[in-house]
Amino acid sequence: MMADEASLAQMMTAAQNGDAAMYRALLAEVQLWLERYYRRRVPPSQLDDLVQDVLLAVHKKRATWDNRRAFYPWLAAIARYRWVDHLRKVYRSAEDELGDHDVAEDSEEEAVMARMSLERLFVHLPDKQAKAIELVKIEGLSIAEASQRTGQSESLVKVNIHRGLKKLSALVEKAE
Amino acid sequence: MNRVSTPLIDALAQDLAPVRPIRLSHGVALVALAAIGTVVLVELIEGLWRGILDGAPSTEFFMTNGMLGLLGAASAYAVLRMATPHVGNSHEGARWSAGMLTLLPLTALVMLGFGGFAAALTQDMYGLGCFVAGSAFGLATAAALTLWLRRGAPVSLKAAGTYTGIAAGAIGSFAFGLACPVDDIGHLGIWHVAPVVLSGLVGRFAIPPLVRW
Repeated sequence: MMADEASLAQMMTAAQNGDAAMYRALLAEVQLWLERYYRRRVPPSQLDDLVQDVLLAVHKKRATWDNRRAFYPWLAAIARYRWVDHLRKVYRSAEDELGDHDVAEDSEEEAVMARMSLERLFVHLPDKQAKAIELVKIEGLSIAEASQRTGQSESLVKVNIHRGLKKLSALVEKAE
Repeated sequence: MNRVSTPLIDALAQDLAPVRPIRLSHGVALVALAAIGTVVLVELIEGLWRGILDGAPSTEFFMTNGMLGLLGAASAYAVLRMATPHVGNSHEGARWSAGMLTLLPLTALVMLGFGGFAAALTQDMYGLGCFVAGSAFGLATAAALTLWLRRGAPVSLKAAGTYTGIAAGAIGSFAFGLACPVDDIGHLGIWHVAPVVLSGLVGRFAIPPLVRW
């Protein structure tokens, strides 16, 4: 069971005031949330790096959370931002496979998570751009393989990835 | 809720120091100071148009400067909010205000016709000066907003850059507009709006590298 919004907000307020024990507990919750958030959208071999990257970002930018606003949307915005950056930088190696990682959908935060999920970003992309990004950046296919799989020319796959990533980065704060 | 702590979490917790959360009101105060400072600078360098209080200017003068001021405020507010990321943030106010400003050159075009519009574009001897001054007087606002974004955690970098430029151009043009006695729609609709367009474009490309984190 994941911590609820109110508990996390309370922990974050304490962390902003310098309470290290609360902060440790908060980061552990955040780490768990991020692992769930990124499942299916990040290969397992890259998950730890990305989660650690976001934890560092949370630490560095903890002053930017306003305690009069909800905690999860703040965290999700940072998580999306780092994920789009990650897609730009990293190609998944061919042997990696996305795990199913079916965890029980077990808390009232599910509705919030669904609203802020990464899939919500993909629905704003044209199918061809979303497919090109999924195949090359997430499943780790080469441009040639993705071209064969989708029937798009290699240049078109590249263009679709470029345009898709550009669009994703503009959608980070969009809720739906 | 016993979670496993990792070495990274332990290290971050050890490194923890109290922080003062970013407050939107402080950002608003910072931009307001920059805008007031800009108007004071215009008064010192150019001198504000004394006829304003006597009702000498045309309706277009008040409409144009009012729209520029509102666009500057709406865009600056959007940028200040972008420093604190949040899924669900929207910047519709700034977007609609920017759309509203396009009414000015459109009005100029309708009122003057193509020939008159072209003449206002090519033969206005004060136009270029207003364009350059309006753009330059936006620098204080641009600097204030960029500083604020660097303190924050903007996640929509291009939007943040574009609106920073629009806010700077609008506030700069507004401030200089208070010193410019040329108050016909041809002059105002072109040369006092152009700094907003230029600054928005410059902001879109120049600001993101400065605020990336």
